[in-house]
Amino acid sequence: MASFWTIFRFSAWRLRWTVLGWGIPLLLLGLITAPFYDLVAENERQLRPVIEGLKPLVKSFIGGEDAEDIFTPEGFIALRYFAFLPIILGIFGAVAGSGMLASDEERGILDFLLAHPAGRASFFFGRLVALGCALVGIVGLGWIGLWCGVLRAGSLDFPPGQILLPYTSVLAVSLFFTTLALALSMVMPSRVTAAMTTGFVVLAGEIITNLAKAIVQLETAARFSPLTYFQANAMRGLHIEPVLGLLAFALLFSMCAWAGFQGRDIRVAGDGGWKFPFPRLRK
Amino acid sequence: MSKDCQAVIRVENLTKSYGGFRALRGIGFEVQRGEIFGFLGPNGAGKTTAIRCMLDLIRPSSGLLRVVGRNPQQQPVAVRERCGYLPGELRFDENITVNTALGFFRQLRGGGSACRRRADQLSERLELNPVAKIKNLSKGNKQKIGIVAAFMHEPELLLLDEPTSGLDPLVQQTVMDLVREAQHGGATVFFSSHVLTEVQSVAGRVAIIRNGRIVEVAATSELSARGTIQVRVVLAHPVNIDVAQFAALPGVELINCEDGERVLELAVNGTMDTLVKLLAQYPVEYLETRRCGLEEAFHAHYERQRGKAGQR
Repeated sequence: MASFWTIFRFSAWRLRWTVLGWGIPLLLLGLITAPFYDLVAENERQLRPVIEGLKPLVKSFIGGEDAEDIFTPEGFIALRYFAFLPIILGIFGAVAGSGMLASDEERGILDFLLAHPAGRASFFFGRLVALGCALVGIVGLGWIGLWCGVLRAGSLDFPPGQILLPYTSVLAVSLFFTTLALALSMVMPSRVTAAMTTGFVVLAGEIITNLAKAIVQLETAARFSPLTYFQANAMRGLHIEPVLGLLAFALLFSMCAWAGFQGRDIRVAGDGGWKFPFPRLRK
Repeated sequence: MSKDCQAVIRVENLTKSYGGFRALRGIGFEVQRGEIFGFLGPNGAGKTTAIRCMLDLIRPSSGLLRVVGRNPQQQPVAVRERCGYLPGELRFDENITVNTALGFFRQLRGGGSACRRRADQLSERLELNPVAKIKNLSKGNKQKIGIVAAFMHEPELLLLDEPTSGLDPLVQQTVMDLVREAQHGGATVFFSSHVLTEVQSVAGRVAIIRNGRIVEVAATSELSARGTIQVRVVLAHPVNIDVAQFAALPGVELINCEDGERVLELAVNGTMDTLVKLLAQYPVEYLETRRCGLEEAFHAHYERQRGKAGQR
């Protein structure tokens, strides 16, 4: 347990710049975006016919049937702020999750660290918890930014607790992508391929989820997209089931990654190839 | 005392395969408590693979492995607690200082103030700047961090994979002194190296590994003794020397004959007695002998192996 805390503390300390690097832009995004609602509210009469006149396919990328919701305070924050967060933090998850262990392994650092008297469980969970805390830190900075933005906006009046609700969903979907990237990094030949695959899932999920608002045939496919279960408009009320579902998948991916790490040969250059684990068809 | 108590490392029929590639093909040896054991072999022979199996960084495909009396696969933390490890290719998180890195390693070991004092002493002895960022250090200085990390907790077993790689000769000497001091303090040292003279200077026994197989385990002195003696004879003045006489001596090979048969170069395998008696018939001005070291013995061993493989 002592080694778990040592690894957790060191990993969290290593992630401090990552938290600031991703958290401060989110903070600024919230700080800048929220006051824009004053302009939107002022210009509703001119903007509403434009949005109502958009074709469904175009409309699907600004909220589909909910596009006109942009004129309400909750709808504006959901469409102009929270709708982007799963993409931003999905990319963060792809990079950070795939790099949690595979990056140090590829750089040859993990070999020496694991030669110290700390079990693989301490290493894995120490780093995973530190990464989870980093994610909470980033989301927390985003929350502070948005709250300050709301305070700056004359026509917005939300208590901080209400702003926090969509962040619960943001955190769940971010953990989903982070742990997916982590699990993939344990089975794929390199960290880059795991990050790329997760990034593809993020972007494909976003496109399918949005298009399904306009194309009925895509509704079935959209059910498999994690972003369908993201609740950008949770300021009106958070549904706990989708959050728990995303967290359950995050737990499943974490366990898969843990199993992969537990049985893994820690590789260094010269220890064998970095190949896909395809079955050998011939000698 | 039981066999396991004496043997700090016990390896029996250990194999390790990566897909179709067999890195270790049933190696076996024992390292006794308190000895310095050299592990020699060319690149890709399986030295690093064997060491990494001992620390459970990779899992053997089959065979028996006991390190400090424990199975590394079942009790990896207990094994690592009692070992110090220095890998051949040492890399660190580059954005931290030497002190931060060593502090982290010390905390991982649960090391207290004694461990910290020892780390400070070692850093000072190796002239390692504790406040420097690792990314600003040369390869040799990074290697010094690994040396401090391996020795600071005064482990029972040191697993050193080419420990002097990248170090200047003075620091190499310091490291070899540390190895000897560790042995005097009761530690066992498992030492792989390409610098054979280095192994020869400290190791009591040596295992030679090639293509994943142990080809020989022997005392260093025995291996060295097996090497030929090179003899250079300078005669006082040119004489009518019967060169064939020298070539006919048992175990003697005439390598070179120059300066009008005044200078002879010979290689002797075994006793010098017959050669000395023959030379006594000539006016010898100067006689120089040199016993080939472990390096020549090592190469000769490989040449013999290659010759046997060629014949097959």
